[in-house]
Amino acid sequence: MLDHTLQGRVYRLGDDVNTDLNCSGKYLPGKDEAFIAAQAFDAVSPGFASRFVAGSVIVAGTHFGINSSREQAVHILRRMGVAAIVAPSFGRQFFRNAINNGLPVIECDVAGIEEGDTLRIDMAGQKLEVSNRNMVRPLGAVPEAILAILAEGGLIPFLKKYPDWKITA
Amino acid sequence: MGLTLAEKLLARHAGLPITRAGDLVVAHVSFAMVHDARAPNAIRMVEKMGAKSLPFANKTAWVLDHFSPPPTLEAAQGHTAMRKFADEHGSVLYDIGDGICHQVMPEGGHLTCGDLIVGTDTHSVTYGAFNAFGTGIEGTDVSAVMATGKVWLRVPESVRVTLKGRLQPGVWAKDVTLHMLGKFGAEGLNYRAIEYVGSAVQAMEIDDRMTLCNHAAELGAKAALLEADEKTFAWLKAHGAKTPAPLSADADAHYADHFEIDASQLAPQVARKHSVDDIVSAHEVVGQKINFALIGTCTNGRLDDIRQAAAVLKGKRVAKGVRMIITPASRQIYLAAAREGLIEALTEAGASVEAAGCGTCVGITNHLIPGDREVVISSANRNFQGRLGNHDADIWLGSAATVAASALTGYITDPRTVAGGQWEASHA
Repeated sequence: MLDHTLQGRVYRLGDDVNTDLNCSGKYLPGKDEAFIAAQAFDAVSPGFASRFVAGSVIVAGTHFGINSSREQAVHILRRMGVAAIVAPSFGRQFFRNAINNGLPVIECDVAGIEEGDTLRIDMAGQKLEVSNRNMVRPLGAVPEAILAILAEGGLIPFLKKYPDWKITA
Repeated sequence: MGLTLAEKLLARHAGLPITRAGDLVVAHVSFAMVHDARAPNAIRMVEKMGAKSLPFANKTAWVLDHFSPPPTLEAAQGHTAMRKFADEHGSVLYDIGDGICHQVMPEGGHLTCGDLIVGTDTHSVTYGAFNAFGTGIEGTDVSAVMATGKVWLRVPESVRVTLKGRLQPGVWAKDVTLHMLGKFGAEGLNYRAIEYVGSAVQAMEIDDRMTLCNHAAELGAKAALLEADEKTFAWLKAHGAKTPAPLSADADAHYADHFEIDASQLAPQVARKHSVDDIVSAHEVVGQKINFALIGTCTNGRLDDIRQAAAVLKGKRVAKGVRMIITPASRQIYLAAAREGLIEALTEAGASVEAAGCGTCVGITNHLIPGDREVVISSANRNFQGRLGNHDADIWLGSAATVAASALTGYITDPRTVAGGQWEASHA
């Protein structure tokens, strides 16, 4: 049984964060991912990238990753060491890109979760705990195939292991 | 309980008797599209995957439209890589000037009713106008499609939108969507499949139906689906598509929501600066000067849009101080517009007509930059601050009719108040 739990410190972002604007090279032609990662989300939370510690969790508001959502945004989030993103809702293209690149995205009510809190997320067990607040929130069921893609680190490693898409483990 | 159109389409392609909203399916893709803004990433993902062969790459179209013509060396190099890839893998290539992906896909006969079509662009929902499940994916997905012919999809919840009555002259599908954006908000139908039905949809010509489905992307839709009819079949046949295998929703399908809009009552709508969902009727906007008028994009760069613009501007001049650029959505549309004398009429009226492509939509080609405090009225689908390359300019959105009427007067104008502004496609 693969381990589908993770734990990390919370960094907060607000509603409607557009990752094309805040975490991609769409409007920064010629800039490399290291450059973009160093200033990611500056416009919505000044100094965010320099504060963020690898292995932590972003907790955001509604519609995280709205609009076209470049896949590059997820590559940059992984480069920053983002362990997971929790939000009440995601832009659908961002949601796909995250799973396809092994970044857990968790739909959950985020009211009452603050910067600096510690989260423990159990995707298979369908619960999210805010450890320092003794708060537990239920999570929706995640299909087995999605858990498997995340566990393998994304769609490409998943297909290397299961070229016919069939999960045999 | 019956199935929605989305549930039926995805069940067909997943090889399952039924699927339900919320199910995760691995589905066979009928055809895929990759455009130049995403192709370099797709090629990187293909390399990362290291598949020995890409047996489904010959069922993809590679479209050079966003950077058409390329404004930077980086874009030009990307185009070179795309031409090479298409040549090596037997993919269909649409080179610069051929047109916008969402126009060349149906025009090229690459899709038909009942298909599952994926493309590296949010506006891939356009294909729903032809009763195909069209949706946006990214480079990793498309590399998997080329290697395995399959994609994973979560079956979306559906909402049914009935457009009753009939759009009045001067009112277009664009106005329906802008009205819905005002009602639901941007991304207000995030992750939903929208099924549009009703007499106003049946009355629309194919060009306007494509606008209706295309612009659903701003509502956050995963798909926007229409039932097929004789107009659909005739259009597809004329463009060399495969035999249609249409599907329709069951009468007892379950919908997450059902909305009804009286199309007959709708007036031309505009989105005010910076937000696609800050919507008012055009006639409520008084004394709003414009400097720059744009007609084009995958939303409203089709022949009926250009015909509408010419109906307003033929024999006239755009207002003093207004610049106007028209970008046909494809080479076929450009040619048809030339043959009908529309290009001549619009050029005489003071507009510039440029080669087909995405140019009019977003500032990535850097040739449409407005000056400080200038106001743009555009037929595009998005108007975020700075989208055309200047944060100190405002972009408003409206139908091609509203853009043409505004170009004529120099102010945001309800097209119904100017001669030619009530041109109707069905009279063409």
